Amino acid sequence: MSLAGYEFEVQRDDGLATEEMTLNMGPQHPSTHGVLRFVVKADGEIMRTALPDIGYLHRSIEKISEKVGYHGFMPYTDRVDYVSAMQCNQGWAMVCERAAGIEVPRRGEFCRIIACELGRIASHLLSVGTMVMDIGGMTPFTHAIREREKVNNLLEDLCGARLTFNYMRIGGVAWDLPPGYAEQVTAFLDQFEPLIAEYNDLISYNKIYVERLANVAAVSKEEAINYNLVGPNLRGCGFQYDVRRDEPYSIYPELDFDVPVGTGEVGTLGDCFDRYIVRIKELKESCKIVRQCLDMIPDGPVLARVAKKLKPPVGDAHVRVEASRGDMGWYVVSDGSEFPYRTKIRTGSFSAMSIVDKLSRGIMIADLIALIASLDVVAPEVDR
Amino acid sequence: MASSMGRYLKHAKDAVATIFEGMSVTMSHFVRKPYTIQYPDRTAVRVQDTLPLRYRGILEVDLEICTGCLACERACPIDCIVIDAPKDKVTRAMLLSRFDIDIAKCMYCGLCSEVCPTGSIHHTTEFEGADYSLESMIRRFVKDPVLAYKAKKGEETDPLIAPILDRGMEFLAEWAEPIDMKKYKKEQEEAAP
Repeated sequence: MSLAGYEFEVQRDDGLATEEMTLNMGPQHPSTHGVLRFVVKADGEIMRTALPDIGYLHRSIEKISEKVGYHGFMPYTDRVDYVSAMQCNQGWAMVCERAAGIEVPRRGEFCRIIACELGRIASHLLSVGTMVMDIGGMTPFTHAIREREKVNNLLEDLCGARLTFNYMRIGGVAWDLPPGYAEQVTAFLDQFEPLIAEYNDLISYNKIYVERLANVAAVSKEEAINYNLVGPNLRGCGFQYDVRRDEPYSIYPELDFDVPVGTGEVGTLGDCFDRYIVRIKELKESCKIVRQCLDMIPDGPVLARVAKKLKPPVGDAHVRVEASRGDMGWYVVSDGSEFPYRTKIRTGSFSAMSIVDKLSRGIMIADLIALIASLDVVAPEVDR
Repeated sequence: MASSMGRYLKHAKDAVATIFEGMSVTMSHFVRKPYTIQYPDRTAVRVQDTLPLRYRGILEVDLEICTGCLACERACPIDCIVIDAPKDKVTRAMLLSRFDIDIAKCMYCGLCSEVCPTGSIHHTTEFEGADYSLESMIRRFVKDPVLAYKAKKGEETDPLIAPILDRGMEFLAEWAEPIDMKKYKKEQEEAAP
């Protein structure tokens, strides 16, 4: 049989019965990034299928929105994707603003983008760090977490929390930038940007690491679109699509940034390494965006006055934001009361789970870890 | 045969070279300043004292300046604040007879302290609240029923209450001031010719 370019010969003695082995990976497995279970059917080391079993982290967040109202739902959006909560905050704020026709002050938009891009840096650092750790390298994880800690400190100065920010409000942001914040962020970016190159020296182009990821679980462009992959997973296949650029919102049209795509530099286009390296490249782009925002930020108010009991007119609204795990859709239906009639959140991790079954056929069990890590699945975002 | 042997040797050479490259980064950390600290007993100052004023730790209530307006109770999305503020039938004054916060339920979102008009309910920088029972996680702020605070027209003159009110206002000043967008735009247009 053939497997990723290698030829195997399966030898079996006559008369010995063989059967497929069924294994449970998870739900409490450190490399499934949350409570997530995979039912693996394997023939020795080679996998037949790996079926994801989701739902362990379902907290009915969409239903909760129907009980707590528009303002009260903001802290719950932090819990949709707790690794990069800022973009979830922004999605909810934007969809309510669109439903109720609220305008955000210009400085507020800049504060949002600065916070979002810092959040993206923190999220991608955790993603690349845990990916290396899942595969067996311990040191790079501590390097990534050290830098993430500094971003968390910056966000703590900004909004008083390190993970569940609740920073944004319908109509702007709840806190203005503290005094001297621009200098603090610039100082962090100045020392962080050289560290990306150092991180590449340390692990990204390490031959053993590259060989471990190259040609594993490659996704073609067509497959990626058919399975609805979004964000870095889609860009890893060489398809240049970014909501920030192609369906711009907030102040992104005024900013200058590139959309990095996978090039298949060490193996097939769209393999695990491409998905990994796209995230490393996006770190640089996020730094660029934060710097531009700090230069361009105007003076003025950051929060527009909104009714305490917000009652958007009857109708619905939909927005898309580019979260760290890709295109995140927010949809809200208003019946004119102070509670949403229905909320729907569409997340990138959920659609990434659907392709695991397809990609896992014929790869080694150990490569499943690399596959899940490269898809950057966050379990609470899958279930919500 | 020779080519596959050559390829194998090249792979091995690349692996060794890149490992040394990575090791040089690791070695350089021997001469860098360490980023880790020994928590909690060997820090120079208490971690709580290094946190920003905006830090959202365990909630605290200054009953002296609580107006009993119930804005925090209404803003809380998970109903972890319970306030009883009945009106005295004779004197028509508002009495605070109960102010409980269940910090086991609290999710530290800050929506309650945002709406407080005097900064009475605010987050502290304390974050260590472990205890043995759920009952002890409920912070009961009212020991004996007290009169609710009434905002005065001028400055606060009571020497006992004035510093507490000043501190409350300090917490409030951190929050962004909401503005009327229509008015603001008009002003901007008038300012720009």
